[in-house]
Amino acid sequence: MIQVTNLKKQYKEAVVLDVERLEIPKSECFGLVGNNGAGKTTLFRIMLDLVRATEGKVEIDSRDVSKSEDWKRTTGAYLDEHMLLSYLTADEYFQTLRKIYGLSEADLHLHLGKFTEFFNDEIVGKKKYIRDLSKGNLKKVGIAAALMGNPEVVFLDEPFENLDPSSQIRLKKLILQIKEASQVTFLISSHDLNHVTEICDRIVLLEKGKIINDLRDRSAMLAELDAYFTG
Amino acid sequence: MLFELIRLEFLKSFRSTAFAKSVMVAIFLGFLAIMLLGYLLLAGLFLTRIIEQLAEGQDPIQVLNSGIIFFFLVEFMYRYFLQKLPVIELESLLHLPISKRKIMHMLLGRSFFSPLSIIALILFTPFAFNEISIQYGVSGAISWLGSILFISWTLHWFMLWFKQRFEDSLIGVVVVLIVLLLGGGSTYMGWFNLGELVAPFFNFAMTSFIPLAIMFVLCSVGYYMAFSYYLNNAYLEDLAEEEEVRFVNQSVGFFSRFGMAGELANLEWKLIIRHKKSRTILMLSALFLLYGMIFYDNLANQSGPMQHMFIFVGIFITGIFMIQYGQLFLSWNSGYFDFFLSRKDGVRNLVRGKYLLLLSISLLCFLLSIPYVYFGWKFLLIHFATFLFNAGIMIHLITYLALWKPKPMDLNKGAMFNYEGVGAAQFLMIIPMMVAPYLVYLPFSLLFNFYAGLAALGTVGVVGIIFFNKLSTININRVLKNRYEISSSFRQEL
Repeated sequence: MIQVTNLKKQYKEAVVLDVERLEIPKSECFGLVGNNGAGKTTLFRIMLDLVRATEGKVEIDSRDVSKSEDWKRTTGAYLDEHMLLSYLTADEYFQTLRKIYGLSEADLHLHLGKFTEFFNDEIVGKKKYIRDLSKGNLKKVGIAAALMGNPEVVFLDEPFENLDPSSQIRLKKLILQIKEASQVTFLISSHDLNHVTEICDRIVLLEKGKIINDLRDRSAMLAELDAYFTG
Repeated sequence: MLFELIRLEFLKSFRSTAFAKSVMVAIFLGFLAIMLLGYLLLAGLFLTRIIEQLAEGQDPIQVLNSGIIFFFLVEFMYRYFLQKLPVIELESLLHLPISKRKIMHMLLGRSFFSPLSIIALILFTPFAFNEISIQYGVSGAISWLGSILFISWTLHWFMLWFKQRFEDSLIGVVVVLIVLLLGGGSTYMGWFNLGELVAPFFNFAMTSFIPLAIMFVLCSVGYYMAFSYYLNNAYLEDLAEEEEVRFVNQSVGFFSRFGMAGELANLEWKLIIRHKKSRTILMLSALFLLYGMIFYDNLANQSGPMQHMFIFVGIFITGIFMIQYGQLFLSWNSGYFDFFLSRKDGVRNLVRGKYLLLLSISLLCFLLSIPYVYFGWKFLLIHFATFLFNAGIMIHLITYLALWKPKPMDLNKGAMFNYEGVGAAQFLMIIPMMVAPYLVYLPFSLLFNFYAGLAALGTVGVVGIIFFNKLSTININRVLKNRYEISSSFRQEL
């Protein structure tokens, strides 16, 4: 599904990312962890062709992301609030996306229906521009937007950050449900080891731009990560 | 899809914080724009007459054709300074399944809808149809006007490319200088006359469609060049302008004598130096030092009724920074106002620190204006009196007015035509600022003489300086009293 080969990102002298090889098969829930500055967001950005790679390439469905744009139709992403159109209300934003993805009103209604509990009555129908929303609500809008249009791949950067505990649990449930129902490949970066080990089948540990561990054994994940981060 | 993007762009400009929050400012700016375009239209209508006045007895068409290249030189300059790059908020669209090509076409297309694009049209259409069509027929007029328009629009696309490619680099400035030097300088210095050299092209345009076709092709090439450059650089890292920390260790040692307030003055100084908007204001006040040249030079002015104007000039020379920077007093710190609220004596020291900084710069301006003594000792006196008045009274007055509903402002946006943070107060406060010095000066100068007026200004200023603590406390208390409103308006919670 996703293939990263010899990827390197360099700012002048400093190498911030150096991934020799990374393959993410279809419908895997892929977790990315690492300390601040490990290169998690940079990796996601390069995978989404938002930042240019210095060397190497990223392929989604064996199409180089920097050469074509077809993959964008089946890829959803929410990395940070700059990805939202801040001058719209949440409703208008969803409407805009609906048109972009070519969905019907009913599709949209059905989609947002899944988030009723998650939104907690604070998003839909509110007369508030996105730029005025709180950080947690911004995240909720972004996540719902990333999951629109039946994507095959979904990138989420720190999805649990800024969410209240009940929203975190609801989000976890949502992701698990979607995984169950369809073959969506999730790529999730997080600092919350408990959450990420609970939903992800595989966790890659990034340190200073390099992959230093690739964990696939769910039972040992948490302990290994704990050991790493405790130092 | 394209329609949807256009609708979004429209919504964006309509709802931008800078625009939507203040209807007054929008109306004022709209009015200003219409007025300027009106002047332009008048200039266009009277272009024939103007040329006849300037070059008597010559064929206006010939004169215009050999001079029009200088219009394009000017256009090159104002486009370089005014034209904005349409790259903002690309990030919110790039990850969606809209092709980059479409986004770029839309952004470039949008940039085209600007008053700059119709300046040439307004200015030369009357001439084309009043003058050229008589001698060369309507087709000649159309072809001539079309060629000019396409040159102007080629410049538009070229500038989009040029600014993005070379922005903030020395090469860009050097290129602009060379263009100016070769264009204007060469004629002035008599190396070669650029106007005469290109005149045949415009003459040819009146009789043939070939120049029009050439310019059309050039314009398309320009568009394509801008388009492909933007397309290939549609990455976050290329389009986001990250400013390098160029000004390390730029503290002003002298401030540290003033304790906490001095530290905050130092912080404020760093803020000024590190943001484009404030830097522009600083440079502007350096430029305003030359303001006196316009008035003082003229002997007839020196002792007529015009000398009352000198007070105004003096206030500006020694206080322009105070006026410009001070009128957005707290808006400069709107991003982190809570930082000051959460410190002990934070607000008090913030205001004091700002005072310290404004006074220092005002003093510096006064010292730098001393060479005006060349025109007479009188001007030193004028500047000294107005400096005292600025330091004693104006600073408190400006601050007092600026504290009337301060608005948040994004420092990282450009300075030209950026009216963020400007509310009705900033326009209205110009009135008392103009009136205040004259309230003190005029009675004495009319009753006695000019120098009595100056003495009154200076005395009032000194009294203000003596009571500095009392006066500054008024403003400090005003901030403290309104701190909840100010802080929540800065957080844009309203």
